[in-house]
Amino acid sequence: MNRERSGMERLETTIGEVLRFGTITSSTMFAVGLLITVTGYQPMVAQLLLGTGLIILLATPPARVVVSVIEYIREGDWTFVVLTLIVLMALAGSVVAAYL
Amino acid sequence: MGFIRFKRFNRFNALNPLNLTAWLALIIFGAGAMAGALGIVLGLGGGIFLVPFLTLALGLPLKSAAAISLSTVIATSSVVSAQRAGNQLINLRFGMVLEVATTVGSLLGGITAQFVAESTLQRLFGVVAAAVAAVMLGRINRRNVILDPTVDPGRLGGRFHEEESGGIVSYRIKRLPLALFASFIAGNVSSLLGIGGGIIKVPVLNAWCGMPLRAAAATSALMIGVTATGGAIIYYGRGDLQPLLAAPAVLGVQAGSWVGARVASGASVKWLKVLMAALLVVVAVLMFMRSTQ
Repeated sequence: MNRERSGMERLETTIGEVLRFGTITSSTMFAVGLLITVTGYQPMVAQLLLGTGLIILLATPPARVVVSVIEYIREGDWTFVVLTLIVLMALAGSVVAAYL
Repeated sequence: MGFIRFKRFNRFNALNPLNLTAWLALIIFGAGAMAGALGIVLGLGGGIFLVPFLTLALGLPLKSAAAISLSTVIATSSVVSAQRAGNQLINLRFGMVLEVATTVGSLLGGITAQFVAESTLQRLFGVVAAAVAAVMLGRINRRNVILDPTVDPGRLGGRFHEEESGGIVSYRIKRLPLALFASFIAGNVSSLLGIGGGIIKVPVLNAWCGMPLRAAAATSALMIGVTATGGAIIYYGRGDLQPLLAAPAVLGVQAGSWVGARVASGASVKWLKVLMAALLVVVAVLMFMRSTQ
């Protein structure tokens, strides 16, 4: 019980870090990309920044789920490993549906 | 003289597309800021306000508006959950169980959106906007806590520090199938209409499934990120999610929520709720009118 709790706390902290990193990176890229777009110089750089920012934004929640799978494997909590993998499979399903 | 006129014409042409982009970005940023601030103050996501603005005022197709709104949902979810991580209000286990239902729901919703006519989506948005207005006005808040911190909350329940009692409290989860069903519907609607779906899950989790309101809201806020991603990926792959339009919306919503969080604390929001419920009813009517055109 105690070990489980500390595992959950560690997971919560890691998730917080992943989410913070994702939002700060994507928002910075959006802000710089938009500023460059407005000035009209280097449109290619602006497009690259905005596009990459969007990909990072979309990748942040799945990254959080991946971190969760790793923690549940470490704890040997196989029910939650399976549940988390189903969530990842549904997201993979979205990728398939997007390009099919 | 002719040379000057030519030069002017040329310069006008060169600047015009930039101006248009800049103006559009600025308008979307402003709309995002308004939606984000309202969302924080009223305790809902901003999507229910952002989507109708983008479609009814700017004339974007509902699919593009939904896609843009979904990217703001992801950003809000990540920012809010990053701030809350560590205070145990987010129930990671129960959230993950429900995410199975929301992500499958959002996958199916995203696929459905590709085959459904614009007018059908508009009517559906109208229905949901009216329902949100009703939920907003009649929101219940059940406490659902067990004051004894030594009580076993079960595998899915949780424990957190409650401000009202100043101590650690526990709660247990009831009626799991209902929670899963509400999450599936929330995920579905999220993808189809570009809203987070918290407005559907949170009242159910609080009223019938044993979750205290703050724990339900925090857990839902984490879940909507991955839920919205399921839908956003499909829109992105289908070319409905433009980075140039999503970026100002995301930054706007973040700025708006930041301001809203500082304005909201302590202020009475009752009149604002009534006003916004009325606005949502207007949105519902406009969406229905637009769908018959």
